[in-house]
Amino acid sequence: MKQLRRIALYAGLTIAAITFIYPFLWMASATFKPAAEAGSLALIPHDITLDNYRTMWARAPFGRALVNSTFVATTITLAVLVFGSMTAYAMARLNFRGRPALNAATIAVLMVPGQLTLIPLYTLIVQLGWIDTYAALIVPYLFNATAILMLRQFFLQIPQSLIDSARMDGMSEPRILFTIFWPLSKPVLSIVAIFTFMGAWNEVLWPLLVVREQNLMTLPQLLTVFALGGGAGTVGVSLASAMVLVVPVVIAYMFLQRNFIESMAGSGIKG
Amino acid sequence: MRAEQKSGSLMAGPYAAFLLVFAVYPIAFALVLVFLQWDLVTVPTFAGANNIRLLLHDGRFWRAVANTFVFLSIHVPLQIVTALALALALNRQLAGRSFWRAAFFLPVVISGAVVAILWSHLYATDVGLINRLLVKIGLSPVPWLTDPRTAMPAIAVMVTWKNVGFYVIIYLAGLQYIPRSCQEAIEIEGASAWQRFRYLTLPSLLPQTILVVTLSTINGFQLFIEPYVMTGGGPLRRTYSVVLYLYNNAFAYQKMGYAATIGVALALIIGIVVFAQRRLIGRAEAL
Amino acid sequence: MPSVTFEHVRKRFGDSTVVEDFDLVVADGELLVLVGGSGSGKSTILRMVAGLEEVTSGTIRIDQRDVTALPPRERDVAMVFQDYGLYPHMTVRENLSLGLRLRKIPRQEIDRRVTWAAGMLGLASLLDRKPKQLSGGQRQRVAMGRAMVREPKVFLFDEPLSNLDAGLRAQMRIEIGGLQRRLKTTTIYVTHDQVEAMTLGDRIVVLADGRIQQIGRPIDLYRAPVNRFVAGFIGTPPMNFVEGTLRENNGQAVFITEGLSIGVPREKTLTANPTQSLTLGIRPEDLRVESSAAQSVDDGSSAGVLRGRVVLVERLGGTSHVHFDVAGGGSRMMASVSNDRLPSVGETIVVRVPPERVHLFGADGRAIGRTAEIV
Repeated sequence: MKQLRRIALYAGLTIAAITFIYPFLWMASATFKPAAEAGSLALIPHDITLDNYRTMWARAPFGRALVNSTFVATTITLAVLVFGSMTAYAMARLNFRGRPALNAATIAVLMVPGQLTLIPLYTLIVQLGWIDTYAALIVPYLFNATAILMLRQFFLQIPQSLIDSARMDGMSEPRILFTIFWPLSKPVLSIVAIFTFMGAWNEVLWPLLVVREQNLMTLPQLLTVFALGGGAGTVGVSLASAMVLVVPVVIAYMFLQRNFIESMAGSGIKG
Repeated sequence: MRAEQKSGSLMAGPYAAFLLVFAVYPIAFALVLVFLQWDLVTVPTFAGANNIRLLLHDGRFWRAVANTFVFLSIHVPLQIVTALALALALNRQLAGRSFWRAAFFLPVVISGAVVAILWSHLYATDVGLINRLLVKIGLSPVPWLTDPRTAMPAIAVMVTWKNVGFYVIIYLAGLQYIPRSCQEAIEIEGASAWQRFRYLTLPSLLPQTILVVTLSTINGFQLFIEPYVMTGGGPLRRTYSVVLYLYNNAFAYQKMGYAATIGVALALIIGIVVFAQRRLIGRAEAL
Repeated sequence: MPSVTFEHVRKRFGDSTVVEDFDLVVADGELLVLVGGSGSGKSTILRMVAGLEEVTSGTIRIDQRDVTALPPRERDVAMVFQDYGLYPHMTVRENLSLGLRLRKIPRQEIDRRVTWAAGMLGLASLLDRKPKQLSGGQRQRVAMGRAMVREPKVFLFDEPLSNLDAGLRAQMRIEIGGLQRRLKTTTIYVTHDQVEAMTLGDRIVVLADGRIQQIGRPIDLYRAPVNRFVAGFIGTPPMNFVEGTLRENNGQAVFITEGLSIGVPREKTLTANPTQSLTLGIRPEDLRVESSAAQSVDDGSSAGVLRGRVVLVERLGGTSHVHFDVAGGGSRMMASVSNDRLPSVGETIVVRVPPERVHLFGADGRAIGRTAEIV
């Protein structure tokens, strides 16, 4: 009887897993199918073609968008890591006036839904003349409250003795942070790096507001505009554009899935 | 420690400045904008309580709110049930456990825009994958995204699919905390599998369930890219979400004051709903 | 009528055998203690009775009924866990009554039993509290109450006192013993603490490496341990051991080691090989210490005599422990003495070893001149 239950369990899990993976597999294979085969259920195309990709690439600046997304996401991630840990270090280990207030403010910020500040931020960008600039995409994300709180939590646990001996050696605080704390913080830094990068990579509402010019659009944004604007035409082309966005993530995910899960689940719970 | 004070201020200063510009100012200005009328080109004009009055009588806004509740009424229970079921299934000695976990979590890391586009093709009435499968097994196709009765539910199912892996992880973490001795004790006490679930597992997972409800509710109110990509808010405005309306007011209609009002209202609604939910669940626990 | 029977019970985890060929009959109403160090298999045996571990081979019977393949809930046993296993989201009353509610026992009967158990354990005022509001001792009592209300055939205790502080442990020991005597329910009690075993058990089973070392009443294990392990495990403070050899001397068997030679009664040497090296065991409380100042009178007893230099004196109130180095040898031994004539550190003392209290163990650890009792 127990054997039967086990088999049923595995069968159920397999069916469930298929429903989660199959759509992506179908999507991938659809991008290689010619228009005639579009929408077929088969996973292996009868005739494999790269036409969809060629069309997509020609019709909209996806290469450019890929560069934009990579640039924006990387910059934001680096900034969050560097500035975030500077802030977190100060908040965790340095006593300065206003520290409790800053702490409270950080937590409060997390409680406010983004939609409240969306319009004012947009008007601010407009007034600064930052529409259609990288600045608009990057600057509002330079500091991340979730990241700061997470890093602060971690930094609190590092023994005071390390700091004391470093200070006695004459190290400046930033030096202590980057030469002593950072090597010890690899796990939390990678968690922050992943969820920050993924957030920036997948963000679409904000770019839709502040970027109009096609050449400056991020990948998910261009993909959306392309799919809605009818530029895609066929299923294959539309999905091909999606693939450009998805494939790097899936590859990274296959190798780092434990880190991804730890990172995005952990940050979500905090948020 | 003077030096420490100085370093601290220097290192935390940029963040404080950032908060002022990108957090405090926008929140404050949002409240100001509620009383203004502005198209970003001309000078803003004072509008008194106009925006608020308009909002209270705005059919489109309240339709959007109603749509959200339709969405939530399907999404939240479905999310709890599926995530819990999968977590319970995964919470044993299983071969390839990390494979299953990775499979369920995959959609979580994929961009919402991609998921929306993908499922547009799955839900397409004539050539969509789902309808083709239904036809293959002898059922008739359903106009998922074009029938006002099925459109929002269809989106709700899709969003559940996308996020369930995240909540599975949350439930799995919660399951680890149930002490082994409690599980063994209840077995010895005579509980069947269902009784074990009802009297021990489910009550022990209450904190996690609260988290699932809260997060997926907030998520539901922030729905944007899905209706934007899949239906544009139709059919018959049945998938029109609040954030979509906000976006249109800002981007398409150029009504900053009104858009800001929608934003503030949304924040208030979210706050009230989440608060009420926590209260309700807390009371249910006492039963 | 015997209550729990183990027939050739064996438990294997992968390659290692955790419990070897366990045979035992637990009498109805008996409090049987399974005692041993970690890894001895005692908890595994208990869990096999509960049904929480599968039996690799062999049979377990409760009241003649073969329960080996039955799930826990069909065995009519109740268990008290080391960390109590109380349901954190339920009140004490709900914790106590859950098992009965699950079995659809009528409300009145449930209330009667809960009131009875709560009364016996002093829990009446705590019935509406949650476990996190209780102290360790109170939680322990709730765990016991939960077992009691079920009125099962067998009580199983898995190191229930390990998480309590020493004072509470001593008190709870007495309460558990008293409770079991009143209820007369067959009980199997697992502990690593030999004091608990000695005070609570009607009989004790000493386990090591999954094997039974000895079964018997506390006094039997104390007076007649069948091997070196049991001898060293049972009794506080632990037995002194010295290595030596056996010689014939004028028709008398003599145990010889550096600093001590002692005539040994014939019966103790029956199975000894004359030239093998042996271990002599003597309990600290059996050694008689005299300070060398007092003239050691030859009282005609054949007690072996050794001299020692006192290294440490631990005063414990009524008795004290005198640690000394044996003169002419390298061994360190300990004697328990009353406080009347305590030697001081550095002093030379004369210690008498009564031969009738001596235990001899062969190279294989087995006691010489004695067989193990297996009931």
